[in-house]
Amino acid sequence: MSKLSALTEPFGTGGNSVQAFDVDKVRADFPILSREVYGKPLVFFDSGASAQKPRVVIDCIREAYESYYSNVHRGAHYLSQRATDAYEEARVIIAKFMNAPSDKNIVITSSVTESINLVAATWGRKFLKEGDEVIVSEMEHHANIVPWQMLREEKGIIIKVVPVRDDGSFHLQDFEACLSSRTKLVAITEVSNVLGTRVPIKELTRIAHERGAKVLVDGAQGIVHQGVDVQALDVDFYGWTGHKLYGPSGVGILYGKADVLESMPPFQGGGDMIVRVTFEKTTFQDPPHRFEAGTPPIVQAIGLGAAVKYVEELGMKSIAAQEHSTLAYAQQELADIEGYREVGTAPDKAAIISFLVDGLHPFDVAAVLDRQGVATRVGQHCAEPLMDRMGIEGTVRASFGLYNNRADVDALVAGIRKAKEMLS
Amino acid sequence: MSRLLDLEKYDEFVGNLELIDDEDMRFEYIIDVGKKAGDADFPEVMKVDANLMHGCMSKVWIIDRVDDGRHYFSGFSDAIIVKGLVTMMTESFSGLTGDELDALNEDHVRKLNLGALTTQRQVGMLAMLAHLQKLGRRVTTAAAD
Repeated sequence: MSKLSALTEPFGTGGNSVQAFDVDKVRADFPILSREVYGKPLVFFDSGASAQKPRVVIDCIREAYESYYSNVHRGAHYLSQRATDAYEEARVIIAKFMNAPSDKNIVITSSVTESINLVAATWGRKFLKEGDEVIVSEMEHHANIVPWQMLREEKGIIIKVVPVRDDGSFHLQDFEACLSSRTKLVAITEVSNVLGTRVPIKELTRIAHERGAKVLVDGAQGIVHQGVDVQALDVDFYGWTGHKLYGPSGVGILYGKADVLESMPPFQGGGDMIVRVTFEKTTFQDPPHRFEAGTPPIVQAIGLGAAVKYVEELGMKSIAAQEHSTLAYAQQELADIEGYREVGTAPDKAAIISFLVDGLHPFDVAAVLDRQGVATRVGQHCAEPLMDRMGIEGTVRASFGLYNNRADVDALVAGIRKAKEMLS
Repeated sequence: MSRLLDLEKYDEFVGNLELIDDEDMRFEYIIDVGKKAGDADFPEVMKVDANLMHGCMSKVWIIDRVDDGRHYFSGFSDAIIVKGLVTMMTESFSGLTGDELDALNEDHVRKLNLGALTTQRQVGMLAMLAHLQKLGRRVTTAAAD
């Protein structure tokens, strides 16, 4: 494939090609992208940490607070009904976006971290016992490691770790080698937040189910780049967070299969998750409200509904095509920088680039980039075991969003060259 | 504190930074301090966990030598910008007693970067100050014992 054809090749070759959208037009939807930092145009490559928000999300949040805000599920008045309708409508929008069978499969949490902790604290506590095995991968974010370690302390479960290859790729045979008759859960990321590596979730789930294990997917970095169809994947749980999908912070989602959610005890106790409370006994709501104690993130969920509608209008396949095209351009341009090294080069990776520059500390590179207006993330990216595996202390990470264009990439490349010049 | 601190080196750094009226140039000045600091002044054998300052995005080691109750610091980082900052901090505040170190505050640190750093890195510099003060108190306490 020639250099040029790689850049114009539609994403998803094999008949179902999808063209990227006009990214410059889309950028106008994001007010923050027109600002400057240190007198230079903002170039935002930190969407993997948290994405910027389109005008429709900002307007939706403002409208909720200005015209119908109230608590949900409990008020005997007009505003409460309006807020409840909007909140529950968001759940329906999210369910359809994920192709969940019903909105009853959608638990609204505060973050993907809470979604995973919820599963560990309820399903895990109820169904896992000493000696049972939970499989994770070397690529996990701390949020999908620590909850299982906490459960290990409490229940004596065993955590097994699927290795990744030197190029950051994930292979199903490595996963299968970890399976045993004691495997009860596979808790795994869909896309590495550091390497961009995609895990073949559908095939992995089929194999896990054949062995009687449940599958929980940390979709925080997956859903933003490729969307999700939970029925096609057949996963038991899928957690993600709103703020990385151009929605507000403070809201996360846990999808669970109906029978699995039904089998789980409540996570936290409080208002809204009960049917009846007496001092002798309390009965709990059915899912998903059983897992939503107290006042939920009302406006955040409504805002997330608006964000989902926004990306659906663009089309997740178009977003993937756009990001794929920009990623290919970036990989080509960055490779020309002497001493540049991409960490994680698995085939068909998502639009996340971790990199190092020979002789330069990642912190210094990121600091110089920052002064050029280029926002990246530096360090271990909440994935310390992966850094140990790759034999490095940290990286600079440029994570792409639907709004990054080739001019952004050019600024990144120029910024790295400037860093080399200033720091060498 | 009854008398004004004698902070000759600190005044020199602040004076230099004040002469530069461009934030980008101040940023480059910090990088230059880091480059000029070199590696020779900080012995390799001292780059051990006991001398490591925790909580930094890059590794920072700080040691001190006490002479007649006064602390003389040396610092090192594997990142040049942080090495510039740690050099400015250790050179500025060497030669002070534990009590004099305790009299230093946020304003002293703020003048050493003059907006050339993000808030996060200013917090890092404050953490360096707290570390120097801790070293000052540790030896002072040991001497009092």
